[in-house]
Amino acid sequence: MPARHLTLRILSRLGTSLVVAWASVTAAFVALHALPGRIEDILAGDVDFPGLREAIAAEWGLDRSLPAQYADFLLRLAHGDFGTSYVLRRPVIEVVGSQLRPTVELAFAAGLLAVLLAGGLALATAGRGRLAHGLASSLELVAASTPVFWLGILLLMAFSFSLRWFPVAGAKSWNALVLPAIALALPTAGLLAQVLREAMEKTLDQPFVTTVRARGVGETAIRIRHVLRHALLPAVTLGGWLIGGLLGGAVITEKVFGRPGLGTVTLGAVLTHDVPVVLAVVLLAALIHVAASTLLDILYLLIDPRLRTT
Amino acid sequence: MRKIVPCGAVLTTCAVWLAGPAYAAPPDLAPKTGGTTTWGVATEPSCFDPHRSSQQAAFFVARNYIDSLVAKRADGSFAPWLATQWSLAPDGLTYTFTLRDGVTFHDGTPLDAEAVKANFDFVKKPENAANAAALLDRYARAEVVAPNVVRLILARPDSSFLESVSNVKLGILSPKALAKGDLCGGGPALAGTGPFVFAEYVRGQSARFVRNKAYAWPPGYAAHAGPAYLDGFTIRFLPEAAVRAGALASGQVDVIEGVQPTDAPLFTDQPDFTLLKGPLGAGTAFTLNVNYTRAPADDVRVRRALRDGFDPEPIVGQAYLGTVPRAWSIIGPDNPAFNRALVGAWGRDVAGANRLLDVAGWTGRDAAGFRTRDGKRLTIEVGYPQPYVRDNREVLIQGIQAALRKNIGLDLNLRIITAGEYAKGNATGTWSIYPNTDNPSDAARELWDMLGTKGFLYTNVPNPDPEITGLVDEALAATDPARKRAFTDRIQVLGIEKAYIVPLFAPSWFLAARKGVEGLGFEAGLDSPANAYDVWLAGE
Repeated sequence: MPARHLTLRILSRLGTSLVVAWASVTAAFVALHALPGRIEDILAGDVDFPGLREAIAAEWGLDRSLPAQYADFLLRLAHGDFGTSYVLRRPVIEVVGSQLRPTVELAFAAGLLAVLLAGGLALATAGRGRLAHGLASSLELVAASTPVFWLGILLLMAFSFSLRWFPVAGAKSWNALVLPAIALALPTAGLLAQVLREAMEKTLDQPFVTTVRARGVGETAIRIRHVLRHALLPAVTLGGWLIGGLLGGAVITEKVFGRPGLGTVTLGAVLTHDVPVVLAVVLLAALIHVAASTLLDILYLLIDPRLRTT
Repeated sequence: MRKIVPCGAVLTTCAVWLAGPAYAAPPDLAPKTGGTTTWGVATEPSCFDPHRSSQQAAFFVARNYIDSLVAKRADGSFAPWLATQWSLAPDGLTYTFTLRDGVTFHDGTPLDAEAVKANFDFVKKPENAANAAALLDRYARAEVVAPNVVRLILARPDSSFLESVSNVKLGILSPKALAKGDLCGGGPALAGTGPFVFAEYVRGQSARFVRNKAYAWPPGYAAHAGPAYLDGFTIRFLPEAAVRAGALASGQVDVIEGVQPTDAPLFTDQPDFTLLKGPLGAGTAFTLNVNYTRAPADDVRVRRALRDGFDPEPIVGQAYLGTVPRAWSIIGPDNPAFNRALVGAWGRDVAGANRLLDVAGWTGRDAAGFRTRDGKRLTIEVGYPQPYVRDNREVLIQGIQAALRKNIGLDLNLRIITAGEYAKGNATGTWSIYPNTDNPSDAARELWDMLGTKGFLYTNVPNPDPEITGLVDEALAATDPARKRAFTDRIQVLGIEKAYIVPLFAPSWFLAARKGVEGLGFEAGLDSPANAYDVWLAGE
């Protein structure tokens, strides 16, 4: 690939990312302001005294026109200023920044666990007879359809409340990550394993597998070196969904386990129309999405040499 | 989510059972100093500054680091706290407070009249948009008379004023902290004079407090003098009720609040745990507030049919497993102003309710069995804002919904709405039924909130009933206790008679603790758990 071509591709990627980020915060901004209820009324809640609403509006600049608020928001964003949370009354960057790490840790640990579990299950059961097939597919179905909430409570009952191996809540040590990661990983792993195993079984029927077998390669080596590579493509396509699912599932997991994280903050911000926090989270999600899809594109290239020619 | 709760409760039972019986030490007779405890708390306050917060969950936490000028006892009388004495001038407008000597804030600033004035000035100033300003609507200004004497001057008499001064929302913060600006994030910057110093807040996880060693000014109702017994304590935020119960059962926390009725048996009469039920004197009952200016509820016959068309007793009993009583009045049953004459005086008259609706012309029936008039269904919407839905309350309303449909053919249309929809309905006065509990603690102010012309419910409703709003105004202005009592008694009766308010049940705060955690209690001004000042650890 010529260097100029590569630079162009990187530039266009960056441009697209900016457009995606801008479009998502703009959509969120419009959506938040299109919802019923004035923000100063929502913030006032069940409190009322003369001048309260005017003071709230003045404090957050809600008394200006929407285009003016929007322009101001974009301008501040360009300077890296995310504003102050209306409800928490702390800088958004501090609120989101302090909650980012625990969520990323949880999502990463759960994602890794899901991939390992799914990969292991698929390798162990794909094309190994009816019994293995039945067992694996029912296991996957159960895992994929178990609500994270319920699973989390069950895990807590067993391993925290009864056996006391792990603490109930928090994010202070590695062992507080174990149960939430498992709760979040299992449903994802179930779905991933389903896709991976089916793809592997299809690949195992391909003529090239027969050729490989004819060369005397063992069954396990066939699966790991040849079949898995073919089966990975549909699984990687699921990757974008997987990241979204992990971040979404983190909301529930964090609540059950009393873990800090973006989930709780986002949920609260949406419910109370805390515009600056919601916009920051949307922007973050957009950036993660862009980064993930870029990463997946690179992964495709690594997995499938046929894609590298263009 | 509510479907999960019973399952969680069953599973916690397993956890307790597996935890096995443990030896319960006999409690020591004398309280001991030292040790720390961990609390499992349901709601993480979005703001720790008592002047700004509007969350119940924040106030009982704030009580640990914030003191008030006066303290409210359970019988409704007031005790000295940061003020050793106070008086009200005969005009009913001037309160003079003498401050206790030797009180210092956590940041070292001494408490004086200037500091008190700074707090009231800050809250009153509309630009600061402090929620506590709602309590100061009749307050005009503060005057420093001497370094230890401060005068609070009202523009109009306010029979709830002393109560408001005792409220944590008007607690006294260090003037230095006030000048620093936003204190919502807690931590040592939020300096009060309380028995504990706010050491650290980790968002989403915990808040930690350490003993204020200099503390020598507890409220008049405290059980001991001098600094707190505990070296400190930590609050862990555990939003799931079943998880809190499990954490306590497995010894990972020492105290939990917000115990669900389904979890209550785990800690009732158990050798290793105690369950404490809080009073209901500060808050109103959980009520259906009916906007009596909106059709079809503008017809008193329809409202009375709604009030009498179901029996709250079994519905409340089922939703809360008998842990809380049904309510008879707007005012909570433990409030000294509760009008006992209302007990057994109204409700559960299905035949009468049906007659009322017949007379009112709702004689038709549609395909679903609901009453109609001129082809229109008899329907009243209950708009319940999602952020306030908790504690099985929507299940309770669903129970009433089913009973009203079956008994009198009334469609009580429960809708869980967003905070924005609620704000909009409130701002335009177009809400229909708003279910809530209110917690300013003074009966006159509660009635003013719920029924007064400038209360948060009717402030935007055109032409509210002058009879009841007039009485509410008089109650709030009546500084003579007997006169005030006569007004609040009358309003409670009128509220039921005109069916402006349908009281449902009297909610209580439930605390559970492991045995050995002594001195837990409740604060009369909030109904909430008292601060950890009197708490001590036995048998260790």
